[in-house]
Amino acid sequence: MKIVIAYKWAPNPQDASVGADGTVDWSRTKDAISDYDPQAFELGRVLADACGAELIGLSLGGPNVASPMAKKAALARGLDRLVTIADDQLSWATTTQTGLLLAQAIEQIGGVELVLCGDSSVDTGAQLVPAVIAGALGWPAFTDVTALSGQPGELLVQRVHAGGSQLIKLTVPAVLAVAADATKPRIPGMKDILAAGKKPAEALPLDQLDTTRLATSRVLNTARPQLRSRRQEMVAGPDALAAAAALLARLRTERVL
Amino acid sequence: MKTCIVAGGSAGIENLLLAARELGGECLAVVTGPRAVAEEISRSGVDQVIWAPESADVLTEACAGWVAETVAELAPTVVFGATRASERVLLGAVAARLGAPVFTMVSKIAAADAEVHLTHALFGGIAQQSVATPGPVVVAMEAGASCVAETGVPIVERPMTVMPGITLVETIPASHTRVDLTKAQRIIAVGRGCKTREQLAGISELAELLDAEVACSRPLAEGLDWFTHDRYIGVTGQHVAPELYLALGISGQLQHVVGARGAASVVVVNTDANAPYFAECDFGVVGDLAELVPALVQTLRSS
Repeated sequence: MKIVIAYKWAPNPQDASVGADGTVDWSRTKDAISDYDPQAFELGRVLADACGAELIGLSLGGPNVASPMAKKAALARGLDRLVTIADDQLSWATTTQTGLLLAQAIEQIGGVELVLCGDSSVDTGAQLVPAVIAGALGWPAFTDVTALSGQPGELLVQRVHAGGSQLIKLTVPAVLAVAADATKPRIPGMKDILAAGKKPAEALPLDQLDTTRLATSRVLNTARPQLRSRRQEMVAGPDALAAAAALLARLRTERVL
Repeated sequence: MKTCIVAGGSAGIENLLLAARELGGECLAVVTGPRAVAEEISRSGVDQVIWAPESADVLTEACAGWVAETVAELAPTVVFGATRASERVLLGAVAARLGAPVFTMVSKIAAADAEVHLTHALFGGIAQQSVATPGPVVVAMEAGASCVAETGVPIVERPMTVMPGITLVETIPASHTRVDLTKAQRIIAVGRGCKTREQLAGISELAELLDAEVACSRPLAEGLDWFTHDRYIGVTGQHVAPELYLALGISGQLQHVVGARGAASVVVVNTDANAPYFAECDFGVVGDLAELVPALVQTLRSS
């Protein structure tokens, strides 16, 4: 029985700077396991332990995805082994490309009964890759998953729905996006990090996957986002009461209140 | 240009329809869920509704295969759908089936020389990009409300094989009244600058005086659990456009700011004079919300 954690190794756009022409400078950013993925690792590990499954990490992207640091960071989060698809062509792979290629990799791994993903990626945040993977595999997908029990083939999934929640039984393989507040992920300790270096990691070459099935788009231009111009007026006072009064006065004068 | 609107269990498609109209041409709706939803959409201004009777009482996600096949058969240039959780599953299936690129946070879309030109936010909104594509292309948007404006068009029934192996065991209803922040005129958003849960009482009092809704940044809804998820504003949460947005103790992390860029006026209160949010505010106060909130309450009460 195999459970796959499909995760992203990516920088946080918060740390990037954007030029006047919209080009994004990533030179001061650091790649990491995407913010919302550790929850998927944690739920996956607990479930794999409970049902004796193998927990396999899967990630796709530019060459960095298979760097020793990246592999160690993923393996230290409780994986049994890792599969990476790292290629220059996959730096900034699109949502659909990512989903279709991950689906093919999952088929190649073989015997996978459950795929867990994070709620969204820190860099793109489209929240669509799990759905594309599921679509390509013909499996169901559910998002906002907060709890898992049972085992693949007889899995009970709890997910947030319409403010409340639903309990869904799945007897087929599925792709699940784990809610960002589903669980508190463990922080890998020194023992985990040392053990990570000894775990198997396999590189899946891109040329073993079909990259032809994708409609194209060409970039016309990039730009800084068109933001509303803001006054950036600072209001102050000798104490909080004076500052509050000054702020309310300004808001009334400008007819905001 | 043929367009398709995918709707799973909700007739809230107003913004999708507006975008489809920008492109002109025939607009077909592929609908799952209760017949009432299909009927409502049939009166929204679309040219045809294709609906699966078998979808009436199954989970939206169990219809993904049918939706993807139906859309593929219609062969539209652009497919629009909602960013609502279950409907994203439908859009992902469509994108996979068509091999189509999918775009979110789209601010502009137009037909040009038999191509689609669209502008979308990159990397959560730090930059934007315009692209041209011959299609097919999938666009996920904040779908908006339902719109019943016209006399109905026919509902074409297309049978569906429900995806097997999915059973809804239990539905636990919402324990709170859901709030729709997208319609709020005034919003007070609270971030990590709020140190204790006790401070929320003062913020509620201020909200009452200003007739505002209370919202939060991601950590307060997820890490701390002080707020329900429908009150979280940010790139993967609510996107709002109130008249007044009062951000208390929110530093201005991109992932939050993106959710409130539509606000007419932004007021920022933060202890850190270098907080990035001050660069995107109309009025800013450097100060601790623990002091400023009671001061605002007191001033509003006495005026």
